Amino acid sequence: MPRRKVRRTDRRPQRAKDLPDRRGSAHTDAFRCVGCRLDVPLSAPGTAHRNHCPHCLTSLHVDRRIPGDRDADCRGRMEAMGLSVRPDGEWMLIHHCLECGELSVNRIAGDDNPLALLRMAVRPLSDSRVPVRVLLTL
Amino acid sequence: MSTTNSSSSSNPSGFLRTETFTCVWCGLAVTALTPDGHRRNHCPSCLHSCHVLDQVDGGPSECQSRMTPISIAVLRNGDWMVIHRCVRCDELTANRAQVDDNQLILMRLAVRPLAQPPFPLEAFGAL
Repeated sequence: MPRRKVRRTDRRPQRAKDLPDRRGSAHTDAFRCVGCRLDVPLSAPGTAHRNHCPHCLTSLHVDRRIPGDRDADCRGRMEAMGLSVRPDGEWMLIHHCLECGELSVNRIAGDDNPLALLRMAVRPLSDSRVPVRVLLTL
Repeated sequence: MSTTNSSSSSNPSGFLRTETFTCVWCGLAVTALTPDGHRRNHCPSCLHSCHVLDQVDGGPSECQSRMTPISIAVLRNGDWMVIHRCVRCDELTANRAQVDDNQLILMRLAVRPLAQPPFPLEAFGAL
């Protein structure tokens, strides 16, 4: 199936990220995932901000209100909770902090695990109780 | 929860049952309680909500803007949560889907990612 061409002309370019000092760490080009311990390079295809592990989609609660501000004191583990779709068709991951319950929305990256993403997408329909009740009432 | 017509009362039995609010999006007047006794925080017809609670700092929010439903999340026990985002300040909330919520909109939110996949889904047929 040929992929549809998504027109992205009216999009604001992503903000440039000035990385603050990574708390004395010598390795500024990679981080280790808190969920699966995978070493992940910071450069991600398709996005300027890598904020979740491409393998298990787990993130870390470091930003407060603005993406990239590194202002949160929580540093808790954030698990992918659901998927949302932008009007232009791009998938967004919704992360939920396991420590404080905060939510955040992040773009998916080009090297994210497609199987994990698809599992997230079909999760509302996988348990048959709610969808069957929904379809019966329509 | 959307704008309340009357202030909240200390006796939930008699007063809250008749308390209503007006949806900020579709204008429907809805009761503050669902049929099974839970307190509503979004309109059952259009699922829109109102930004009255600050999720980051806690307490009431001065935003008071409209919140649109953007996605469905599933809890471990199988219940559906509706994720709302404020149109003005982009804050997110997660609220439980209630029994009398509009099932057509819930289902639309749930299947929307599958309608616009970022990669071809044919490859998963071989798995």
